[in-house]
Amino acid sequence: MDVILSGLATGFSVALDPFNLMLVLVGCFLGTLIGALPGLGPINGVAILLPIAYSLKFPPESALILLAGIYYGAEYGGRISSILLNVPGDASAVMTTLDGHPMALRGEAGRALSTSAVASFIGGTIAVVLMTLFGPLLASVAVGFSPANYVALMVFAFASLASLVGKSTVKTLLGALIGLMLATIGIDANTGVARYTFGIPDLLAGIDFLIVVVGLFGMAELLHLVEQQVKGNLKSLPVDKTFVKVADIVKLRWTILRSSLIGFVIGVLPGTGASVASAVAYGTEKRLAGPEGSKTFGTGDIRGLAAPESANNAAAGGAMVPMLTLGIPGSGTTAILLGALLMFNVQPGPLLFTQKPEIAWGLVASMYIGNVALLVINLPLVGLFARLLTIPQHYLTPLIAILAFIGIYTIVGNPHDLFLITALGVFGWFLRKLDFSLAPVILGFVLGSLFENNLRRALSISGGDWAILTEDLTSIVLYILAFLVVFAPIWLSRRARRAAAA
Amino acid sequence: MADRLFAGFLLIVTLAYAYIAWTIIQAPFQYDPLGPESWPRILAGAAVPCILYILWRPDDEPFAVAKYTWFRLALMVALLFAYAELYEPLGFIISTILFGTIVALTLGAPRSGALAFGIGMGVFGYLLCVTLMGLNLPDGEIVEAALQILQGGSE
Repeated sequence: MDVILSGLATGFSVALDPFNLMLVLVGCFLGTLIGALPGLGPINGVAILLPIAYSLKFPPESALILLAGIYYGAEYGGRISSILLNVPGDASAVMTTLDGHPMALRGEAGRALSTSAVASFIGGTIAVVLMTLFGPLLASVAVGFSPANYVALMVFAFASLASLVGKSTVKTLLGALIGLMLATIGIDANTGVARYTFGIPDLLAGIDFLIVVVGLFGMAELLHLVEQQVKGNLKSLPVDKTFVKVADIVKLRWTILRSSLIGFVIGVLPGTGASVASAVAYGTEKRLAGPEGSKTFGTGDIRGLAAPESANNAAAGGAMVPMLTLGIPGSGTTAILLGALLMFNVQPGPLLFTQKPEIAWGLVASMYIGNVALLVINLPLVGLFARLLTIPQHYLTPLIAILAFIGIYTIVGNPHDLFLITALGVFGWFLRKLDFSLAPVILGFVLGSLFENNLRRALSISGGDWAILTEDLTSIVLYILAFLVVFAPIWLSRRARRAAAA
Repeated sequence: MADRLFAGFLLIVTLAYAYIAWTIIQAPFQYDPLGPESWPRILAGAAVPCILYILWRPDDEPFAVAKYTWFRLALMVALLFAYAELYEPLGFIISTILFGTIVALTLGAPRSGALAFGIGMGVFGYLLCVTLMGLNLPDGEIVEAALQILQGGSE
């Protein structure tokens, strides 16, 4: 407990520094804006703005605080376009449209927006509190992890990724493998041998993380927008004067609490983020509501609005836990944040809390502040954000390209990379079109060297004996968990089908 | 069908990747049991079954993109390449004004709006990034040459 309190004190002294405090607010504001724009989600927003944030040459904790603010701000803002336009900002806001939009149609847009803002705030805060309590604990366990344990942890991470993300397990796995293969390009750090560089000097250091991120997420998203180009203007419903009542929140307290816990746990699972969490929370609430609920859910039931909103914000916080304590990101967006830390030469992992407390705890403290700031920004300013929803796509699309070009050029300073991000954008668009999700690719890319190095180190310790991988209890437990996370859903759905047939 | 084509393409790439891992990558000497070639071999070994599965059982969703959409996408990619090509020679301001205006126009913005957007992004974007945030953006070879002539003329 002492560790946590002194850590929090360090964290708040970093986060309350006027400059960092300003960055939290700017990040939250920008994030809400990005999340509110239809079609742009947290992952694209962070991807497009990462290079710019990096080139401003802030200290690492400040840059991370800014990016994290954008991340959970966008998670927060996604609900605005879901409720008012029925167009989700990204996958995690899809569930919000189901009951949020019907409420707005009924003339309760203000109530829907403010209720979801409070639900998001509670979900986010519960997640940060849990993160404060369990983060250092997990870190202290993970300090003792051997390379073989890390290999098992990676297997578990990719297993839960394959099982829970995307439509097809095989495609998700293949996406992660593509990412891992991309990560092998460049000089092998252990032996100095060049791999897959084909004699091109630019490739010796490997493909730049920023280029992969901006290409796969920023430029591919841009092509997606061009493809989906909406004809005519989207009509946004007006924000009316209805507002959340205390009685609403009291009535929703168990829904919000349950959904926040579900969201946090799913967020902590490596690889699975807010989109899975909001879907599971929505499904759970609907089932708990019973036959009466299956009639009202989907027609503007306020529970169906609060559940996914508290869950996706809790998941955004939860996904930070494995990223900070194990160095294994809990979602696609945290994979990008992890890459950002690596660019600052900060290696996230169990030692981060003790060696770089200003970064780890500063981030945690900034999340407390960010949550409050988001609530304060969102309740009165929701009308402003709602007006931004109608920014036409024909200005948004070139804006993304211009921002991406600025970001890449200012960091790399090489016009060839501008071609490379465009080409990667085309590749990413194809992947997306074929139902591959892109988050596994970036996760594979970020984790590639960590996975490989731990495997090689483990086998060096054992002198080449593969048995070391399954020698101790921690590894075995992780392999069992990996097995369960893949096969339990299959088994459960079979059982449900059999029950339905009987 | 699209699934099969893409999987076929990935299979070729993966086989080439595996071929390189088995023949070319080699450490001159090493003490560790796993060399630089082992990990790529493992990855290729895991990827091939995944690809074969997709070839065997592709999703039957059609790859529905209208002809006109293809044209729009191709145009967008061409414009992006042109923007990248002209980024340094023309400089940020001019290339962004051109790119912003043309893209907004092709995506259906009104003429005056597109022009205002392009000029706004080019000029204010440059001022914001270079003077306020201290970022490094290309001034443009043409612009520099023109400035030199102007300065030379005034001397």
